[in-house]
Amino acid sequence: MRRLLALWEKECLALSRDLLGLAVLFLMPAAFIVIMSLALSDAFKGSPAREIEFAVIATDSALADRFAKNLAGEGFRVVPGPASEDEARNSVRLAKHKLVLVVPRDFQQAMVAPLGGGNAPPELTLLADPALPPVQLLAFRQRVLGVALALRVSAMMRGAGIAVDADALDLRRAAALRVETVGGTGRPSSVQQNVPAWLIFGMFFVVMPISSLFIVERRDGTLARLVSMRVPFSLLLLGKVGPYFAVNLAQAALMLLAGRVLVPWFGGETLALPGRWDLLAAVTACTSFAAISWGLLVAVCSRTLEQATVIGGVGNLLAAAVGGIMVPRFVMPEAMQRVAEVSPMAWALDGFHAVMLRQGGAADIALPCIKLVALALVLLAAALWVHHRRRVLSPA
Amino acid sequence: MGTLNVEGLSFRYPGSSDAALQDVTLAIPDGGIFGLLGPNGAGKTTLISILAGQLQGATGLVTANGESLAALRGRRPGFLGIVPQEHAFYSMLTCAENLRFFGGVQGLAGARLKEREGAAAAFARIESVLARRAGRLSGGLKRRLNLAIGLLGEPQILLLDEPTVGVDPQSRAFLLDSIRSLAGKGRTIVYTSHYMEEVEAICDRVAIIDCGRVLVSGALSEVIGGGSGLEEIFMQLTHRSLRD
Repeated sequence: MRRLLALWEKECLALSRDLLGLAVLFLMPAAFIVIMSLALSDAFKGSPAREIEFAVIATDSALADRFAKNLAGEGFRVVPGPASEDEARNSVRLAKHKLVLVVPRDFQQAMVAPLGGGNAPPELTLLADPALPPVQLLAFRQRVLGVALALRVSAMMRGAGIAVDADALDLRRAAALRVETVGGTGRPSSVQQNVPAWLIFGMFFVVMPISSLFIVERRDGTLARLVSMRVPFSLLLLGKVGPYFAVNLAQAALMLLAGRVLVPWFGGETLALPGRWDLLAAVTACTSFAAISWGLLVAVCSRTLEQATVIGGVGNLLAAAVGGIMVPRFVMPEAMQRVAEVSPMAWALDGFHAVMLRQGGAADIALPCIKLVALALVLLAAALWVHHRRRVLSPA
Repeated sequence: MGTLNVEGLSFRYPGSSDAALQDVTLAIPDGGIFGLLGPNGAGKTTLISILAGQLQGATGLVTANGESLAALRGRRPGFLGIVPQEHAFYSMLTCAENLRFFGGVQGLAGARLKEREGAAAAFARIESVLARRAGRLSGGLKRRLNLAIGLLGEPQILLLDEPTVGVDPQSRAFLLDSIRSLAGKGRTIVYTSHYMEEVEAICDRVAIIDCGRVLVSGALSEVIGGGSGLEEIFMQLTHRSLRD
């Protein structure tokens, strides 16, 4: 234990003498948390923060007004439209309008005609900016069809002698729909996605200081000297675990603080804290164990600082890109979501989300934690194996 | 007591077709300074590294005081110390922190650790720079810190791998005097160097190795024989062709 304490003290002193490197471990994830939480805030909301403008052009101004009135609201705002369909196309091409609905001249008459028997439904044209998010285009399209359906039904009912205003058939007035997320305090917000995501990213970046110092130790002969002092290699590795575990815990505390204070200060949402701090600590510990073990394997395998930087850095970036850190997994296609399951960062994110978003219990974090610990043990065993295979600490 | 016997020691680096050491046999008596000479790549550092336990996989027998060196070091880790060629310490730590750390990993603590830190620092005359970062020391002071760390565990056998490389004449003279005084206190010193005049000045016995083999070994006077000096013998045995 005395020797382990000496190793921990040395590692802490070395870390404290590299304040820039240490600062990067904290500032980088904090910066990502703030930037990405703000940048992706729309993607996590039910509707965009900024309303999408649309216009309706129709020869029948009353019909145009009816469409405009029923399509507006819940993220869509009507604006004066161009004078003609040609102008509308040009306007959308120039991104002056995002959406323009073109109602044909005989639309109202066509609504009266029964469907079937060779009668094609009347055709509406929706001119859309290609940069518009597909989800919003789909929502607007469904809303246009809803208004058209209301017009057709009211026409049919009038034909049957039942006087009814099409406005009464507005889908939004058919019933009140309450959306309730289950298993959490509310919808996951951008900050709830990004705080754990970039915390995990930052935690895995301990690979850099771990491998750097290890390679310097090997290059300068201190590692060989320690081996000659009969310090077991496994103890040398363990000597790295303690200080970096403390660094990872400090990262977790500060990134939660960033989510609570820094993001709202910049105008974003406030991070909702988990109900079970013990589970959060367990997920953090398992993630840290995996991150440190990854750092130790990179340190043992890399012969130069450049190699460690490339292997550790690129490895982290790939794991983050695949694992839903940079791009949330729910926006990935299904095939990519399956690929994401191989990333340890995705496992860690699952664990953090289970605690922070879904307010889950021990059973909910068990699988990600087991995966992370198993990975950590495999990586540590690999580090010891590589060391044993090489047998050589300093070349002749 | 610090008698060291190497019998039939052979070693090959993984992936290398040539043996780094071939059937090396040496008898290093207790006390005194044993000079280990050889051109670059001869196998000196490999031999030192095997004796220090840094390299594994060698065949042959290494005994100290009649028992296996590995077993002896298992019981007494501080029995053998090494001062490597490299400045094998942490440049970002101060000299005092380096001494405390290397003492700590050898199991020293409390008053005993303080005493050994003070003694090693005093021996290497680095007391005045204990608070300075090791990386900011001059070449001579770095060599002295390297030596001080090697002495923390009070080793009975001390392996010195080219300890005077890159230092000024004053530091070299100090280091050589220090090494002599260590031998005078009954320690066994194994000393490698390319400086023949140093070896002639301080060593009692020498061995010249090349291509992993011992070419000659014995008392300094026996090895030199009727020749004009150690360098002449060295060049005769190892030839003039460049090695690296």
